[in-house]
Amino acid sequence: MIKFTLNGRTVETDAPATARLLDLLRDEFELIGTKEGCGEGECGACSVFVNNLLQNSCLIPIGSIAGADIQTIEGIIETEQFKILDESYSIAGGVQCGYCIPGMIMASAALLSKNPHPSEDEIREGISGNLCRCTGYNMIVEAINLAAKKGDGLW
Amino acid sequence: MVEKITAYRFERLDETLSQLNREDCAIIAGGTDVMVLHKSRRGVPPKIPKPIVFINHLSELKQVYQHHKDLHIGACCTYSELLENPLIPFALKNAIKTIAAPAIRNRGTLGGNICNASPAGDMLPLLYVYNAKLLLRSVNGNRMVTISDFIQGPRRVQRFHNEIVTEIILPSVLEDSHVVFEKVGNRNADSIAKVSFAGSIRISKDRIDDIRFAFGAVGPTIVRSVDIEKKLVGKTIPLDGADIAAIGSAFDKIIRPIDDQRSTAAYRKTVALHLLRYFLSMKQYQPN
Repeated sequence: MIKFTLNGRTVETDAPATARLLDLLRDEFELIGTKEGCGEGECGACSVFVNNLLQNSCLIPIGSIAGADIQTIEGIIETEQFKILDESYSIAGGVQCGYCIPGMIMASAALLSKNPHPSEDEIREGISGNLCRCTGYNMIVEAINLAAKKGDGLW
Repeated sequence: MVEKITAYRFERLDETLSQLNREDCAIIAGGTDVMVLHKSRRGVPPKIPKPIVFINHLSELKQVYQHHKDLHIGACCTYSELLENPLIPFALKNAIKTIAAPAIRNRGTLGGNICNASPAGDMLPLLYVYNAKLLLRSVNGNRMVTISDFIQGPRRVQRFHNEIVTEIILPSVLEDSHVVFEKVGNRNADSIAKVSFAGSIRISKDRIDDIRFAFGAVGPTIVRSVDIEKKLVGKTIPLDGADIAAIGSAFDKIIRPIDDQRSTAAYRKTVALHLLRYFLSMKQYQPN
């Protein structure tokens, strides 16, 4: 039995230790905001926070997260930071098909909490592990820049 | 019937080593390579053919400290942890920044990159240039091995099943040298190298005092030749064209890349030699 914290709640599972955190989140806990893209750590669609650090849930065997604090997109949706990001992505037109967006939002939040006033290069570096096949990234970069300004003092 | 998977996650290194002494296990640090290598279909756990031992939570494997001139780096330090550690040399940090992307750097470990022994392993060329040594521990004690002896081929390392790589040791951090790392891939982030190159050079009164270079992804293991390097010691900077050409053709003979899904042998060799010549043609070298 593996026990950990998921979006603030203590949970446990008897899934095998090698099961991917991604599958556990989607299939057992029905948190389907976290997406599977490549399944190899190259696209960032499955990004979550593990002890407040951005990680790819497709690469995490659940046996390694016993006792850890996991947050998914569903876990941050009520925060002020999320509201600012949500608004900024809408204004900048950063969302098209939307598949990469939960991962992009997690990467954006991770970046801003470490660096509340990132330069354009730092924004691009912050989301470099997240692929988006619709926007060409410029609108997403703009959204993060906008969120940094609107959320000044929040991060 | 669900397949039974045996996995261990001990609180201490000595318990982990005892288990490894009893049983041949697959060791998982960050898991960023092993989870892809054994990937199954969606919803199905990766099939890893041995019992598993998780080690990336062990604090004994996360220490970084200086001992005399040697820098000791715990094998389970993630790339992000190394970037934040003041003891890690700038040249190594600059290289780490070009590796993967933030999410992977929060998970992948230095020891994992070495033990995975990919010919394209991102940290390997620089570690060869630093003459890195590895400390292995088992219930029987410690053993030290150079990185070039440890890595024997693609995914083949000289580790007994009861051992864990606990530390990576840099005998000198090359603080008086100009150190570079170049990686060529399809994308800046998260790509596997088509070719990589690391070089270091130390100049004393316009003469080369110490010079080293290593190539990644152009052979089964990292390519480095101390004999070729020695030919340049004592030469004046900037190097003349004939010397650079001679070194280029010496490497031309020993670099034997392959064609694969990422690149071709011809491209790899051409780019590897260009990177070498570019490094040797610089007019000035500055310690990092």
